[in-house]
Amino acid sequence: MGIDTENQEIENSIREIAKKLLSENQVDVIIGYAEGTIPLSSTPIFIRKEEDVNKLIWNNLCYINLANYLVPLMPQLCDSEGNALKIGIVAKGCVGRAVNHLAVEKQVDLEKVKMIGIRCNGIVNRSKINLEIGEKEILEVSISGNDIIVKGKDWEKKFPYDQYINDLCKVCKVKSPSASNETCVGECEELESIHDEFADVIEFELKSSEEKWDFIKETLEPCTLCYSCRQACPLCYCNLCFVDQNLPVWFGKTSQLPDIIVFHLIRAFHLAGRCVACGACSSVCPVGIDLNMITRKLEKIVKDRYNFTSGLNAETLPPMMDFKMEDSEEFMLEED
Amino acid sequence: MENKILKKDQIGKLFNELVGEYKFYAPKNHKGNISFEQIEKPEDILLDYLNSKIPPKSVLFPNMEVLFEYTLDEKDVEITDRQDLDEKIIIFGIRPCDAYSFELFANFFSSHGNVKDEIYLKKKENTTLIGIGCNTPRTTCFCTSVNGNPFKKDDMDLFLTDLGDSYLVEGISDKGKSLIERLSWLSNAKDADLKKSEELAKKAEEAIVTKIDAKGAVKILETSFEHPIWDEISEACVGCGTCAYLCPTCTCFDVIDETDQYNKRGRRIRIWDTCQSCLYTKETSGHNPRNTKIQRCRNRIMHKFSYYPKNYDLLGCVGCGRCVYLCPVNNDLRVILNKINKIEKKEDEKAVV
Repeated sequence: MGIDTENQEIENSIREIAKKLLSENQVDVIIGYAEGTIPLSSTPIFIRKEEDVNKLIWNNLCYINLANYLVPLMPQLCDSEGNALKIGIVAKGCVGRAVNHLAVEKQVDLEKVKMIGIRCNGIVNRSKINLEIGEKEILEVSISGNDIIVKGKDWEKKFPYDQYINDLCKVCKVKSPSASNETCVGECEELESIHDEFADVIEFELKSSEEKWDFIKETLEPCTLCYSCRQACPLCYCNLCFVDQNLPVWFGKTSQLPDIIVFHLIRAFHLAGRCVACGACSSVCPVGIDLNMITRKLEKIVKDRYNFTSGLNAETLPPMMDFKMEDSEEFMLEED
Repeated sequence: MENKILKKDQIGKLFNELVGEYKFYAPKNHKGNISFEQIEKPEDILLDYLNSKIPPKSVLFPNMEVLFEYTLDEKDVEITDRQDLDEKIIIFGIRPCDAYSFELFANFFSSHGNVKDEIYLKKKENTTLIGIGCNTPRTTCFCTSVNGNPFKKDDMDLFLTDLGDSYLVEGISDKGKSLIERLSWLSNAKDADLKKSEELAKKAEEAIVTKIDAKGAVKILETSFEHPIWDEISEACVGCGTCAYLCPTCTCFDVIDETDQYNKRGRRIRIWDTCQSCLYTKETSGHNPRNTKIQRCRNRIMHKFSYYPKNYDLLGCVGCGRCVYLCPVNNDLRVILNKINKIEKKEDEKAVV
């Protein structure tokens, strides 16, 4: 089955479930994806009426992690007394992971959230396509069979789908939400743990320290510190981010490389055992920074040391929120 | 003054002739991100481009700028002012919308009572803009709706038109005209070249497909401060600073002191800031008058399409479309303005003062 056919089926099932949830008053609002106004985009949409469900779409450009809209809860998602409405949320695997993890961190009340589970078939790497097209305006992007077709004025280019999805999607093991039927309608499966070879990270780990450092510098160098990565991250929900603390100032906020690196690396530390590998941070970056290797390395460290993968259920405390006598302490002595 | 022709293979010659005297900035591609950088090798200059991702405001108003440096001991602080403000600057290959944005900048940096931003103004005074018309505007461009045009020339010193294998060079300001005189090796343009440039300008204007009733929006915004539309407009916004940082007309900045206690010295720096950050309006007391995303999203639109027109009698937008195609969640300004234009006017709502 081609990716285009898969997308159609996923989209139909989203609309069907959304309609049912709204008509049966199981939810007050549904957060999903709608068609973007420009090619290579999609936009989050908030559906409150049954007749609007056909605005919901699924394609491989639905890159935002919608769990981001659950925390902090916007006034638009609360009743007049400020209590959370019942929310339906279109949930690919990583959205499901984020919802679970936010529930563990007591940020989301699962009683109020209904996931519309879908089996995600991967998200297109926008910056990779933009980079290859260069200075020509893209007018239309579509999926045909297993190809991404990009069209402009009097030109057309084909990209094989499996090569042009996000690197995180290529190694994704949680394609639909890991949840029970109570919290998730539609596609879901309860996963105890996942097996990941981390071949991509192991290859990276073989590099010398200098090469790794160069990689980090080169990756982060274009950053404008717009903080779209943080803002689009469902787990970056601090009331006041460390980098915004100015009484006293903890970190420099200039666009000089050392400040940029400090921001991204400290943010990475804060996401250890919490990041759900959705790749939204990279998809939203206006200058095309791909944080995937940092994400993967974090996942591997946490898996190796604590045998933990974030967001597989809504109960297990992540290692940084928990203490066990047998916790690994090797990092206190030396760093690999 | 006669118009001239610059052959495409003469860009290097032009660069070499001017680079000693001027700091020469031009669009440069760095892994798909085009920005105006100081050019060292003429082959890095990219003129065949849609528009830069980072607007050329970054040349005169960089996202990090040292205002002055200081040394301090127990009693005294000694300040060293910037020494580089007399250097002459060329911004080469700037698009008309971005050149126009500098006109809007002039309001902000010089019109606040007696307060003038000497650093910015000095640099602007020493800058020569060599612009280029937009033969192929993007579908997201809407300069013609906001007092612009793909071939708007009056904000430039010199204006280039890409004729295919050469550029038509027109001197616009006195500064530009004297520069042409200096570049005596430029050949004269023929009537056919002028005719072609006029055709290209006409074609480009027709290619602007996005039309927005900006003046209508200005009128409606006067009475729409409390309208529920802002709930809808701000819903998808994630509150990052992309739209502001990459906007050629956004001028807000934060000022920080970097003090090196050990060496008893420091520097005062300004960095870009954005009204989309919740910290932007946070007061020392802890109170934040723009505490919600709804208020912050509203502020961005109100600033450009209501406060700016009120204060300066100009729109605060040049229609470059960067915020349209670079918004991470596709919260499209064109859609926002169209939504505003559909608001029915209510007499009972109070005007924003």
